[in-house]
Amino acid sequence: MIEAQELTKKFNEFTAVDHLSFTVSPGETYALLGPNGSGKSTTMRMLLGLLRPTEGTARISGHDIRKDIVAAKRVMGYVPEEPVLPERLTGWEYVNYVADMWRIERGAEREEEIDELLTLLDIRDASDDLIETYSKGMARKIGLIAALVHRPKVLILDEFQAGIDPRGAATIKEVLNGLSSRGATVLMSTHILEIAEQMADRIGIIQEGRMVAEGTMDQLRQKAKGQASLEEIFLDLTGGPDMQMIAQYLGDAGDEG
Amino acid sequence: MSLTDLLILLRQDLNQTFRFVGTGRRSEQKSVFRRFLGPIIAIVVAVVIILAVTWIVPLIGWNTIAALISQNLAIGSTLFNIILLFSFIGSIMVSATTVANSQRMEYLMTMPISLRTLFLEKTIIIIVYSSLLWLVIGTPLIIGFAIVSPLPLAFLAIISYLVFMLVLVTIGVAFGGLLGLLFSRIVAGRRRLRQVGYFLMSTLAILFSVIWYYFLYSSEDSALFEWFFQLAEQIGLTSDLTPGYSVSVIILGLLVGADFGLIQILVVGVYALFAGGLAYLNAVVSEKAHYSGWLMSGSKRSSKEEIVIEHEPWDPQPIPGFTFNKTISASIWYNITNVRRESRVFARYLMGPLQFVIFFFIPVLTNPEGMGFFTPFLIIAALIPFSTSYGLYFAGYETVYEGRNLLNLQLAATNMEDYVRGKIYSAVPFTIAASSLVGVLILLVYVSFWFYIPLIIGAAVFTNLASGAVAANAAAIGGDFKAQRMVTRQRGSSVQMPIRGWSILRAQLLPNVIGYLGTFSMIILGLSLGAPFAYLALPIYGVLCWQIMRHYSRSAGLALARIEASEYL
Repeated sequence: MIEAQELTKKFNEFTAVDHLSFTVSPGETYALLGPNGSGKSTTMRMLLGLLRPTEGTARISGHDIRKDIVAAKRVMGYVPEEPVLPERLTGWEYVNYVADMWRIERGAEREEEIDELLTLLDIRDASDDLIETYSKGMARKIGLIAALVHRPKVLILDEFQAGIDPRGAATIKEVLNGLSSRGATVLMSTHILEIAEQMADRIGIIQEGRMVAEGTMDQLRQKAKGQASLEEIFLDLTGGPDMQMIAQYLGDAGDEG
Repeated sequence: MSLTDLLILLRQDLNQTFRFVGTGRRSEQKSVFRRFLGPIIAIVVAVVIILAVTWIVPLIGWNTIAALISQNLAIGSTLFNIILLFSFIGSIMVSATTVANSQRMEYLMTMPISLRTLFLEKTIIIIVYSSLLWLVIGTPLIIGFAIVSPLPLAFLAIISYLVFMLVLVTIGVAFGGLLGLLFSRIVAGRRRLRQVGYFLMSTLAILFSVIWYYFLYSSEDSALFEWFFQLAEQIGLTSDLTPGYSVSVIILGLLVGADFGLIQILVVGVYALFAGGLAYLNAVVSEKAHYSGWLMSGSKRSSKEEIVIEHEPWDPQPIPGFTFNKTISASIWYNITNVRRESRVFARYLMGPLQFVIFFFIPVLTNPEGMGFFTPFLIIAALIPFSTSYGLYFAGYETVYEGRNLLNLQLAATNMEDYVRGKIYSAVPFTIAASSLVGVLILLVYVSFWFYIPLIIGAAVFTNLASGAVAANAAAIGGDFKAQRMVTRQRGSSVQMPIRGWSILRAQLLPNVIGYLGTFSMIILGLSLGAPFAYLALPIYGVLCWQIMRHYSRSAGLALARIEASEYL
């Protein structure tokens, strides 16, 4: 379970996250949406203990991130937007290394499970190659496996679908749905609104570090006066494109062409 | 903090560093021999040192050696303290850099460990790396002496050396790391102060090394060592309160039987605890620095408050008084801005040539009366490496450091010849500044040479133009366009040059030949036929250099335009 209470992060004068509160229950998938620079990644980084909140706090499965971040990390798995992995380890070594850090008992059972994940995400054949030889998509898959290897109670994913092939993305969606239905708490950020619409039980839309709307799709529709799609709701709440400027640009471009 | 976590982190880090099998991208795999070359060299060096010691010491006689060492424990003390000092100087910015680059460790930071443990592990790794050279050289020496020593406890010196060396290096690294973090705190958020600070520190480092070279080459061997040990004594490196002294007394005592007591063992114990404490403190301060965000380069996000930005009209004319086409002016602006904003590199580029032109002045400085006549010629001779080096750095190295930006230039279908020319021209203002300074210097030491000063400045500029083009062409042919990704080849690194093989030889040799032949031909002409004749030759030299510049910049442009993306991506 994730309970963010008045989470705030300031960088000097700039407030990146402004008194943000939300709760994600076990078995629930929550999508955090917002324009670029709205504070999604900063929020996630605070939950993960990579940044310390300026104000407020959060509890991860009951562990206060200010008081016991190591205990909180122990129940979390994280898939970053751009994974930076140890290039001179093989995929197999890296996942085992992560498993060691989470103190998962070594042995046949662990290895079988890792093997299963590698096969599931179609990367088993490359698991003995060094990570430096991986493509971006392969690195993300290994990153995801590393996040799943300790069977986290809370899974945080930042743009998990980026750079992954359609088959891989479909597999991940199924895995996440499965984990969620078994009681895992899933918090994800994405710019692909269809993914949020398909997968999330609840959606939070943040802008300039503040929560501007939160709820299930139906609740968001009601708030946005019956807008049909999440894209329409999102644009309605965060501001759509400036059609006048687009027309002006296209006109200019047309004149030049 | 858990010891198990620390050990797992250390094991993986060392596993990655000392991995010899299957490393490198598939297309860039090194041969097995090259991968093992480092350890092979280390083992060969160790064996040679052990054999040399066990062969030489009996020839001289153990008693003589033992007496010599026992009487000169202060030398050992100085050497050990210098190791500490080197570790300290070499590690000043290491912790700050580790924290600043912590995003690269995100996968580690999300693991169930405290950041303190993580930073402690990184400090230990730096200590291991910093000790390697001393361990590889020093351990075989101690082993050699232990073999020939008749003392029963001599072999204990080997273990003592290994442990004490780590203690010394830990003190140096941890203390340097803390100082770097303090500097970072002071300059946090003050970009200009940081720039100026880096520039001054780098300049001072270069000047210090120049003075060092001067003393090294201008003193007689014995005088140098005498001076050196006097200095060491004055700054307290031989003091029996220093860590180096206690370490020296114990290790050499075990080897040759010099007296040492319980107090020295206790002192080393205290230093070991101190070292551990400093390393831990380093980790604590690093964690604090990470969380407090001192080292963050500012938010990448736009401000919440609407700020109306008024841009100046975009028309960079980086060399006042000259108008160039768009590509050239953008290239000059980009090159100067790029170098200037990394003030450490800027200082290295501008002051770097001092490190070798000092050799021109050693005869004058050591024998000012006898060399008086040659002084202005030596000053002119010293200017030429500045002209050629500025060409090499600004046009050669910076062409290589374009790296991935070559993709943008190729996609934009930039006229690469013009782009290269921009790089070449970008060095000219600095060459004019350096040659003007040289002009002032000539006026000070040999005022009757004033007539030649404009000629010298003109010749320096022409040499610089030709040098830049030759260097850019060499860079286009033999540059490592991925150099910025290697610590040893990055901008400002003096370990490896970004241009490889024969190309770097060409980039350095040809410009100097042109510069020396051209400049001194004109001076000799002036001195033998009259100064106006030298000025008559200047346009000829100018045309020659201009033609060289045109030829090589075209050639470099063509080569750059044809470079395959796999070379730089």
